[in-house]
Amino acid sequence: MLLSMRYAVTLVLVLASAAGAAEPQLLEPEQAFRLSARIARHDALEVRYQIAPGYYMYRDKFRFAVEPAELRLGTAQLPPGKRKVDKFFGDVEVYRDEVRILVPLESGASVPRLVLAAVSQGCADVGVCYVPQEQKVELKFAAYDPQAGSPFVAAVAERTGASPFIDSPGTAARGEDDRVAELFRGGFWLMIASFFGFGLLLSFTPCVLPMVPVLSGVIAGRGGHLTKTHGFLLSLAYVLGMALTYAAAGVAAGLSGAVFAAALQSPWVLGAFAALFVALALAMFGFYELQLPVALQSRLADTTNRLHGGHFMGVFSMGILSALILGPCMAAPLAGALLYISQTRDVVLGGTALFAMALGMGVPLLVVGASAGALLPKVGPWMETVKRFFGVVLLGVAIYIVSPLIPVSVQMVAWGVLLVITAMYLRALDPLPHGAHGFERFSKGVGVVALLAGAAYLIGALAGSRDVLQPLSALRMGARAVEAAPVAFQRVDDLAALKEAVRAARGTPVMLDFYADWCVTCKEMERYTFSDPAVRARLDRLVTLQADVTRGTQAHGALLRRFRLFGPPGIVFFDRDGREIDGVRVIGFQSAERFAAVLDRVLAAQ
Amino acid sequence: MSRRRQILLLAAVGLIAAASGFGMHWWRLSGASSGAEAVMRLRLPDLAGQEQAMSQWHGRVLIVNFWATWCAPCREEIPAFVKLQAKYGARGAQFVGIAIDQRDKVADFAREFGINYPVLLAGIDMVEVTRQAGNRVGALPYTLVFDREGRIVASELGKAKETELEQRLRSLL
Repeated sequence: MLLSMRYAVTLVLVLASAAGAAEPQLLEPEQAFRLSARIARHDALEVRYQIAPGYYMYRDKFRFAVEPAELRLGTAQLPPGKRKVDKFFGDVEVYRDEVRILVPLESGASVPRLVLAAVSQGCADVGVCYVPQEQKVELKFAAYDPQAGSPFVAAVAERTGASPFIDSPGTAARGEDDRVAELFRGGFWLMIASFFGFGLLLSFTPCVLPMVPVLSGVIAGRGGHLTKTHGFLLSLAYVLGMALTYAAAGVAAGLSGAVFAAALQSPWVLGAFAALFVALALAMFGFYELQLPVALQSRLADTTNRLHGGHFMGVFSMGILSALILGPCMAAPLAGALLYISQTRDVVLGGTALFAMALGMGVPLLVVGASAGALLPKVGPWMETVKRFFGVVLLGVAIYIVSPLIPVSVQMVAWGVLLVITAMYLRALDPLPHGAHGFERFSKGVGVVALLAGAAYLIGALAGSRDVLQPLSALRMGARAVEAAPVAFQRVDDLAALKEAVRAARGTPVMLDFYADWCVTCKEMERYTFSDPAVRARLDRLVTLQADVTRGTQAHGALLRRFRLFGPPGIVFFDRDGREIDGVRVIGFQSAERFAAVLDRVLAAQ
Repeated sequence: MSRRRQILLLAAVGLIAAASGFGMHWWRLSGASSGAEAVMRLRLPDLAGQEQAMSQWHGRVLIVNFWATWCAPCREEIPAFVKLQAKYGARGAQFVGIAIDQRDKVADFAREFGINYPVLLAGIDMVEVTRQAGNRVGALPYTLVFDREGRIVASELGKAKETELEQRLRSLL
């Protein structure tokens, strides 16, 4: 009887899953057609596509390009494919299972690495086709061995649009390779590095650092005789476990952002976010404690304790679980980080950034593992300062988020107030006790600097300066001719229009300005900066595009996301070949002088 | 583990599963509605280069077909759409093709097959829009059916089944 029940349940489950599978379960294109490549000879690359069963690729739809520009590719040697009779195309040749294509490298410039961009198109037997996709593989000559060539390297997972077979709306067909697709990059690694840094700092907060030696003991288990390498490897297993959980949280945050996609940017959303950050900051100042319920924490801790130290798997699972135990120092900054990630709506960035943050947090543990505790800073009240530092950072983020909504003068006052109050917390005006420790002196020094900077902001704001980065600029003398016709911006509303405009501008650098009606900073930029004659003279030598994202459509969201921008104000530049110029983005208000300097760099860029 | 603990644990797992299921459902639903909006907000050039807003067809039963001439299964279903447009157009059905393709090829194809409904041109970014509207892997052909209130009531990845589509149109008109 019981047995038959069990069968019945199984049957129901099988039926349910079969019903769910009515829609064809299709693979993402990069999984259906898995690209890898290698340096086969010193003068040829081998490209391999591993094609999932039930999928096929068209022989005549491959295109290859290579970077850097000194290198040139010869004609790809495509092996004969299988005949497929198509009602409309007639006979076509397709590949199944696997195809290897030899692509000659024509010019022999010696470069340490190259990036192969491969465009391909394929379909599934169930009757759907994928849009031509571009994938990239980075190959290093260091891995090349004259006998065997280099091993295969898989394509990097990124979804770039490739369009040799597709027009941007309103244009004639063009067969040339499309550089625009790969110019949307930058800022990624900087972000990862900052998250790593924040992770490291977080580990110096009072609820983490004192626990490190204890934790290190638990990880080592009761073995006692542990070599340094073994200790380090065990700690590494723990840290990796922890990082995995964080990465998952980052991915989830990136995905969850998609829910807000429609709401995108509006004064209300920005205001609410800023308020949240302020609330989180207050937790760091100790106004209240934000943490997981204690009962849940101790339950998790119990489970963790039951795992065995000393074994890699045990330690690894410990790491995974321990990441869930969020103490009062961790919860608020983590929530802030996740909020930020959810705004970028970038799953890859979210996962990587949080992974890096966890690695940063794990550094002290690794150090202890490798050095048996000799290299760790002393526990002390200074850690409270680190905790408050995060409070200040969170408040700073809040000001940054609302900056488009408020006039520059208000922004400057806000920064001034934040800095002055920070200085007070750092005891900038309190006398140092006799025989003060090094850290106390250091922190007072930082406090005095913050006080001076804060005072500069307040004075600057009152004196009528309107530049967050040069608060005292108004104190300099200087008359300025105002009144000039507004800049004639060409409007772009989506990526396709942008691509087209950048392409049309080939030979002239391009400026893309993000604007919204509610963005006060954008208006100040127009009034104080764009109107300046020196700026105008330079702007006239550029193609000026403007994306008005007031309405916040999906296309606007896609545009902002491509440039990893929170929202307006933001200005990005493209060089004469249509590539974004790194390091010259303008985010927030800039005075005419500074902006003119930026434009000079843009005009000088090759 | 005591029996009570076991029950508690099971209850907790059940709750989490239910919550995540509900969350997923809500997420997918909200995705569908924002996807519908995303499609309805599109403005794309037609074959004559004239920009057309999707919103002009709001209030009709709208069938939006994402396709391309380089996609064999897409080409196969077009004759059925032409037939259904002729049959139900007067009663309020409106087919619109959005081709992720090159203008010349689409124009030739439209002439050859006598497409009797608007065909708009889109770039590769359109794939992202279809993903938002439920096209999980971003493949073609992808067809969406909107009711007169502009809600997505059906979506089909791969060749649409003519009889099924016809039945649905009848029920909506």
